[in-house]
Amino acid sequence: MSTLLSKAEIKRNDKLMERSGSFKNPFERQSRASKLRRIPIYLLTVVMIAPYYWMITSSLKSVKELQVVPPTLFPKKLIWGNYYDTRFNPTSFQQDVMQGLFQRYPDLKFGFFRFMMNSFFVNISITCLTLFIGSLAAYVVSKHRFKGKKGIYLVIIGSMMIPWQVGLIPGFLLMDKFGWLNTFWAYIVPALPKAFIVFFLTQYLTSIPDELVEAARIDGATEFTIYFRIILPLLKPALIAMMIFTAIGEWNNFLWPLIITTSQDMATLPVALANLKNSGAGNIGTQGVIMGASLITSIPTIALYFATQKHFIRGIALSGLK
Amino acid sequence: MPKSVKESTGDVSRKTGFRKFSDVGISTYLMLSPFVLLFIVFSVYPVLASLRLSFMRYNAICNPDQSPCGSVGFGNYATLIFHDDRFHKALSNTAIYVVGAVILGMIASLSLALSLQEDTKSNRILRVIFFLPSVTSGIAVVLVWGWVFRGDGVGLLNAMLSVFGVHPIEWLATTWMAIPILIFMSLWGGAGFGMILFLAGLNSIPAMYYEAAVIDGAGPKQRFRYITLPLLRPVMVYVGITGIIGAFQIFEGVYLLFPTSVGSIGGLRDMALMIVPYLYDSGFNKFRLGYASAIAWVLFAIIFIVSMINLKLTRSLEDLK
Repeated sequence: MSTLLSKAEIKRNDKLMERSGSFKNPFERQSRASKLRRIPIYLLTVVMIAPYYWMITSSLKSVKELQVVPPTLFPKKLIWGNYYDTRFNPTSFQQDVMQGLFQRYPDLKFGFFRFMMNSFFVNISITCLTLFIGSLAAYVVSKHRFKGKKGIYLVIIGSMMIPWQVGLIPGFLLMDKFGWLNTFWAYIVPALPKAFIVFFLTQYLTSIPDELVEAARIDGATEFTIYFRIILPLLKPALIAMMIFTAIGEWNNFLWPLIITTSQDMATLPVALANLKNSGAGNIGTQGVIMGASLITSIPTIALYFATQKHFIRGIALSGLK
Repeated sequence: MPKSVKESTGDVSRKTGFRKFSDVGISTYLMLSPFVLLFIVFSVYPVLASLRLSFMRYNAICNPDQSPCGSVGFGNYATLIFHDDRFHKALSNTAIYVVGAVILGMIASLSLALSLQEDTKSNRILRVIFFLPSVTSGIAVVLVWGWVFRGDGVGLLNAMLSVFGVHPIEWLATTWMAIPILIFMSLWGGAGFGMILFLAGLNSIPAMYYEAAVIDGAGPKQRFRYITLPLLRPVMVYVGITGIIGAFQIFEGVYLLFPTSVGSIGGLRDMALMIVPYLYDSGFNKFRLGYASAIAWVLFAIIFIVSMINLKLTRSLEDLK
């Protein structure tokens, strides 16, 4: 060997030297110019926040204020009328009084809450079930030996290269044939087999030694015991990452819900939002209501992101770079 | 030994106390079947059926009992490629959009990652802010942009410009502006995601390399050019390919911001028509299901070819060195 250090030593050294990745050259002074260079970043930050700011403040403006040209940056008076206007009377028209978000959809049981409930129900069902069947499959694929395993795994991985819209039309026809249009079945069942989850969890499981599983088998554990007692706990970090991705992805899903729902009561929040926009198109007075609905649609995923931020970033790094 | 016990996997041979590793019976299939069955019915079948449909004439007129009526061979594809002006428009729009969104997106995410790389408190907050759009509902955001780009005086951009005495501009009805607006929206929504990937890539570069370079007298520019860029190549390939695939599938922005009268998509003179919106339009507005399936397969072919070229290109670039 030509090197003085063994490979293991080099690796160890590498690890020691590895820091947060940012490297400051001790010979170069931090100057005032470098602080000035931060200004564009702060300006961009304003652009990033502006839509959220606008969503929140407009939903709290009165109908009258929404119509002002040019629009006001700060609401003169914060009101809740866009969500629920106590002055609203369905039988008589009053100027400057809007039907609040939760007063709309009078024919729907629970009104706007119905969409929120749909979204939550669909989302939670998909996330739990897809992780369950996905992790079962990943366990079998990574720790069992049987005929045709490689073939199955190849097909699963290969399917990830196909954009999902390719199956859009037959998927829709299938739902029609099953009589599932406008039902929760059409939302949940087709969304369950997610190739990426099986791929990701299988990759994760290959780093777990087979001996763990074999030892449990020798001790007489059944396969389901092994799955619940050994595999699931070991998979926890990977499962959390996948849970967050699935939940956020499904919450914001739009095209599939759009084609499988025609009746209003089965809409999820994104579809309800699009319908709301199309119904009140152009009328500036309804913008406050639309912004309120947008805000309600955005909050759950943002909250989930904040609650799980650490897992989230780690998950992205794991799934993206492995 | 009774057969049922032999089949169950918890069984351990009495004689040796060991069981072959591969001896997994019915439980293997029990555990695998939920996924595989659903996968076959809802992932594999639709793709294959869509390939079959793409060779069929299948529309509202010719299907009395919900079944395709007759093969047209490559007819759908021939029409798409040689005769359909709307599809050509959709293709060229998508191409411009993808090139713009992916290249600018890469530049934006890499610059963000570089400027927010240092692990300080303010950087951590800024990273969160830039990442926020990636977890926000696309529809909700598009609705805000719809207000920003409104054509009248209430539109935010127009209101801001009116300070400088500019008359209201019809942003969403000016043909050449549609794609830049969509690119801007994709930058706003996607740069943060790329940034996180680039940050992970930057963090995996050992500081030792930079230290050695400094000792050898390399300046910041050289360090970036000869250490950071080459070592980030895998991340760039990943960000590039996922970005391309995502950009080809753009739908929500076009659907909500560029409707054309009733029952069509694409905006004024199809200025914002893209592949997936056109697929939706053909399939669910015009009910030409065979034709829409052909569009879907063209989309797949394009994405496949572009990703392969991207992979090959970066590979051969690596071989060059």
